[in-house]
Amino acid sequence: MSTIAYPRLRARVGRNRGVVVVIGLLVVLLVFGAFLSDRFRTPTNLLNIVEQSTGLALVSLGQTLTILTGGIDLSVGSMISLLSTLTSGLIAGNAAMILPVAVGVVLLGMVIGGLNGLLVITLRIHPLIVTLGMGAVLQGVVLLYSLGPAGKVPPGFTFVAYGKLFGIPIGAIVVLVLFALVAGFLRYARLGRYIYAVGDDDEGAKLMGLPRARVILFVYAFSGVCCALTALYLVARFGVGQPYTGLNYTLASITPVVVGGTMLTGGKGGVLGTLLGVYLISLLNNVLNFMDVSTHYQLIAQGLIVIAAVSIYVEKKKRI
Amino acid sequence: MIRISKIAALFVGMAGLTVAAVPAFAQDSKFYTGAPRTYLYNPDTEVCFKDTSQYKKDGPYTIGFSNAGLGDSWRVVMLHSLEKAAAEHKDEIKKLIITDAGHDDAKQVADIQDLISRGVDLLIVSANTQQALDPAVSQAMAQGIPVVMVDRRIASDNFVTFVTASDAMMGRLFAQWIAEKLHGKGNVIMLAGQAGSSPSENREKPAREVFAQYPDIKVLETVYSDWSPVKGKQVMQAMIAKYGKSIDAVWSAHGLQTPGSIEAFIEAGYKDGEIPPHTTSDVNGPLQMAIQHKVPMLEVGYPPAMGGTSVEVALQVLHGAPVPCIYTINSQIAVSEGDNTPSIETQLRLTDMVVPDGAPDMLITGGMGPGYDPKTFKIDFPQ
Repeated sequence: MSTIAYPRLRARVGRNRGVVVVIGLLVVLLVFGAFLSDRFRTPTNLLNIVEQSTGLALVSLGQTLTILTGGIDLSVGSMISLLSTLTSGLIAGNAAMILPVAVGVVLLGMVIGGLNGLLVITLRIHPLIVTLGMGAVLQGVVLLYSLGPAGKVPPGFTFVAYGKLFGIPIGAIVVLVLFALVAGFLRYARLGRYIYAVGDDDEGAKLMGLPRARVILFVYAFSGVCCALTALYLVARFGVGQPYTGLNYTLASITPVVVGGTMLTGGKGGVLGTLLGVYLISLLNNVLNFMDVSTHYQLIAQGLIVIAAVSIYVEKKKRI
Repeated sequence: MIRISKIAALFVGMAGLTVAAVPAFAQDSKFYTGAPRTYLYNPDTEVCFKDTSQYKKDGPYTIGFSNAGLGDSWRVVMLHSLEKAAAEHKDEIKKLIITDAGHDDAKQVADIQDLISRGVDLLIVSANTQQALDPAVSQAMAQGIPVVMVDRRIASDNFVTFVTASDAMMGRLFAQWIAEKLHGKGNVIMLAGQAGSSPSENREKPAREVFAQYPDIKVLETVYSDWSPVKGKQVMQAMIAKYGKSIDAVWSAHGLQTPGSIEAFIEAGYKDGEIPPHTTSDVNGPLQMAIQHKVPMLEVGYPPAMGGTSVEVALQVLHGAPVPCIYTINSQIAVSEGDNTPSIETQLRLTDMVVPDGAPDMLITGGMGPGYDPKTFKIDFPQ
């Protein structure tokens, strides 16, 4: 190993402090679970964990990018509710409608997300407020459309959620491919690197003449697309869309991002940490289920893990 | 199939082949312990049964219970009833694993998958919402794991059986009793539960059909209590202000909101013996108030004892015994003293059911025996 490579490696580990912490926690939980029960170790259970995390992974992917720019998207929950209700409502059991509706829903997600970005740029209001307002608007719209579960999807559509390719859940494969693509995009594409620049030093990015508006527009539109994918997955999993399906995802989508080491102030972190954070939360719930720990303690454990993981990361940051 | 199951849901009860689950409180001979009336009085010649021989297995068994969540007193008693039944069958049940989804569909789907990976022989499921849990429960059945639904079913028929009580019977008996109490003439307020919720709608519609048989019975208004005594009181205050003494009876879809209505009448200055007839279910408080203030009252339960029954039914399935497609459990039927009518003849009086010193919000139809207190209840069930 050359003398140049070592400091680079150290720098990379330093930058990905969150990733290291989460990998550590994942290993601890896996070893603990394996001792806990023979059934925990079975491929079925481990694949279940990966499969169950699909929805959270998809929405957190978009959320990571908004947070990297120093923003946040609090409209994701309502957007998922709206898009999933529209999906099953418009498909209405007709297999021929699946493709056009799926495409339409993804485009609609992109438009709504883009609108978020446009409002952030033109009104110069903090994204927190813009997306919070948008979330309320979207929740109202979905309730006007339907007060309860709307329409249905043909039975075969559940394949998206429960189907397997070479023994691996389809959703899990989609997640891995998407995360890899976005990781590559963030590293190698110019726009990807601008995302970090805007989040790291917004004023500086402006002075340097970076296309700040394009970056903001892109990340919120992308978050909208991720919401659409989450909505499609949830409709496949539940067989129907409902006006409150996405409710829990607003806060839940932020947890894996911060656990994975992405700073809420923007500019630092990445999607690998988020993916590991998603798996950590899913694994944690599974292990706690195996331990017969009640749901209420599961919430407490999740909260503590978030605080612990983030505090470890922040401490290191201060030292640097 | 859907049509049959709907008819079955209305009429079919437990069959003679199955052992009647006698509630623990039913030591008194006045309590009805026969085959469920919904089965016995069912005029259909055909009753839907499920062959469960494919699920026959040697014990002891591991049973998983995926609960939608807790959050109200009915669901707490239902869970305790289930734990108690598991404790009573320790010899056959090796392990009862309970998960609680906190009323979150996504969590309940994951819970069901986790229970399957933990190798349960059978699943008992109380579904948070009937559509969203359908694929997950259907998957479990497709994997050969029998599912017994309790209290809340899924939309499709992909389960072995559904343990429930008859909403329609409650709604009809309530209405028939009121019509006969009023000798076929008078004004009724319908104090329903939550607008659009299936237990409320499945009681309202059959009740309206009964009222419609009596041309001089007029339903003044249908109001919604959201199953809450507080909201129930508010809406009834408004009704009393609007209609006053012309209200001749209150048809209440459950006992949760009945105390609010009686309170509204008391506060409006109605003296003991002047409050119009009310209907109720399961809850202690309305019975206490009816006895104290001499309110004519009919109680038809939607008993949380169905939690325990679901365990008994689960064991029948694992023994390979045939079970009804919809397993309707017994509702006790009680009236205030002197308030039997030609159609509602029962030996059971409110005074036989009430727990005089018990908490008003306590549910008395859980089959939990004397001295039961949901706050301190603990039982050693196999886990």
